[in-house]
Amino acid sequence: MRAAWTIAKREVRAFFVLPVAYVVLTVWLLYFGVVFSLLAEFFSAQPGAGRGGGLMGAFFGGTMLFYLPLLVFAPVLTMRLFAEEKATGTIEPLMTAPVGEWSIVMGKYLAAMAFWCALWAPTLLYFWIVSGLGDDTVDHGAMGAIYIGLLCAGLLYMALGLLMSAVSKSQIGAALLTFMALGALFLIGIQSYTLQDDAARELCEYLGVWSQLGTFAKGIVDTRFIVLDLSIAALAIFVTVKVVQAQRWQ
Amino acid sequence: MIDVEHLTKTYGDRVVVDDIGFRVEKGEIVGFLGPNGAGKSTTLRMLTGYLVPNDGRIRIAGVDAVADPVSARRSIGYMPESVPLYPEMRVGEYLRYRAELKGIRGGQLSKCVDAALEKARVADVRSRIIGQLSKGYRSRVGLADALVADPQLLILDEPTAGLDPNQIRQVRDLIRSMAGEKTVLVSTHILPEVESTCSRVLIINKGRLVGEGTPDTLRTTSEGGQVLVLLARSQRSQMVSVAEEVEGVRRVLDAETPADGFARLRLEVDSGETTEALFMAFAKAGLPLRELHREQTSLEDVFTNLTTREGEGSPDTVEVPETPLDAEPSAEPKQKNGPEGPGTGEGGDEADGGKA
Repeated sequence: MRAAWTIAKREVRAFFVLPVAYVVLTVWLLYFGVVFSLLAEFFSAQPGAGRGGGLMGAFFGGTMLFYLPLLVFAPVLTMRLFAEEKATGTIEPLMTAPVGEWSIVMGKYLAAMAFWCALWAPTLLYFWIVSGLGDDTVDHGAMGAIYIGLLCAGLLYMALGLLMSAVSKSQIGAALLTFMALGALFLIGIQSYTLQDDAARELCEYLGVWSQLGTFAKGIVDTRFIVLDLSIAALAIFVTVKVVQAQRWQ
Repeated sequence: MIDVEHLTKTYGDRVVVDDIGFRVEKGEIVGFLGPNGAGKSTTLRMLTGYLVPNDGRIRIAGVDAVADPVSARRSIGYMPESVPLYPEMRVGEYLRYRAELKGIRGGQLSKCVDAALEKARVADVRSRIIGQLSKGYRSRVGLADALVADPQLLILDEPTAGLDPNQIRQVRDLIRSMAGEKTVLVSTHILPEVESTCSRVLIINKGRLVGEGTPDTLRTTSEGGQVLVLLARSQRSQMVSVAEEVEGVRRVLDAETPADGFARLRLEVDSGETTEALFMAFAKAGLPLRELHREQTSLEDVFTNLTTREGEGSPDTVEVPETPLDAEPSAEPKQKNGPEGPGTGEGGDEADGGKA
């Protein structure tokens, strides 16, 4: 696993050396800054609105504005991981180093999780701003729950992105496939609003990311979601390792 | 150091490497020759574990490379054909990363990186960004990567491709300097490179091993024998009649008059002994030779001969026999290259692109 650490370090460094990281972070912060200030304005105009989690609850998972960009940004974070190495040929020295496939995959996964965390770290400032303004709706328990939810969602998203990058030849292909996979999860979540059948609705709610972050944002740490995220992530990583192994057979 | 048996690789139903077997002993420098698309890179990629063979056995330093690839890879320093590198990294940083990946830790790390930078002559660009380097530097960074963990075995896939003549000589010198100390398997299609660096040659064509031996044995066992060039102050016809009298001269390849009063002959002869006989014969005839040398291009002829055959059966490997001249086995396939050439249309070498 030492090799995984070495690989992760290189990935993170490469990501932050390239301009793409700064473009992504800038657009991301700009976007969420706008969303946050719009919501803050709304909540200051109507104090007491949306008691279920208040401003921060609404920001993290209360609106569609939160989910849609995730579908775009998550693929951008993971598309490079394998697809770029395959396109430039650097996969060959990597795969001929005395390192197993598990180390390679875990190293890249670790790096992807670091990107994911880097994306969310600045939002801690929003909590600081809100509590600095004397808003008593900031609930530290709920805040912890939100970040647990985000971490779990990240484990799932990054694992899916990693898998798509491993199966694609180009970064664009990887991004598109990831977008489609996450989009499918998202649509399943939306289905819960249209379905009449209770069991089916509950299933869709459970599978959709939509309801997951909404639940965590209310301060509820629902272990069903955590189990779901972790098991899909583990499966995706396992399949990624198999895909990487299979590529030696070409 | 390398022990390969019945190695086979297929892409779909196309056989790229077809049941080849060879050994490379410790300390040898072996050239791996073949036209483009012959399966050289695919073979090297199987040795380094990048590809898994469909069939066959590979042992690297006594380790089964198919069953335990990670351990086998520990003894290998590999330089892939097009030298893929991370363009955004600095040279020193890249080598440090590679060394770490190859299991070098702590204080050893800087020492290994420095040594590799020095050996591959890239110390002057250690803090430059790889993406900004020239092709020559990039391939030497690839070489430094292969050397960085001080492996017992170096596998270099066309290490001199894209280098200028000075750089080619430096790389050759570097490879030669490792003789005895390290085992080197180097693929190339540049023949002088092989003649000047390798102690032994493997020739592969269309996925099969078609020749094996030292450059000298390969030269003498080819049906071409040796080619001698003679220059004397004389008439062409006179020189030809003297030469034809000498035992061991097979035929006169061509004769020309390069300058007034001089004639030059190219002769195909059986062996080195004939050279002395020719010298004596010309002296006796009162024709002192101004020039008498063996033509050096014959490995090229061997290569061409072995790799352009269109044998319908298995192209027989050129053994390296004690009797240096057995013209029979190769005389027959040579005719197949003739005008009727039935096989020429079905499998051009280029179409075989084994590096897909």
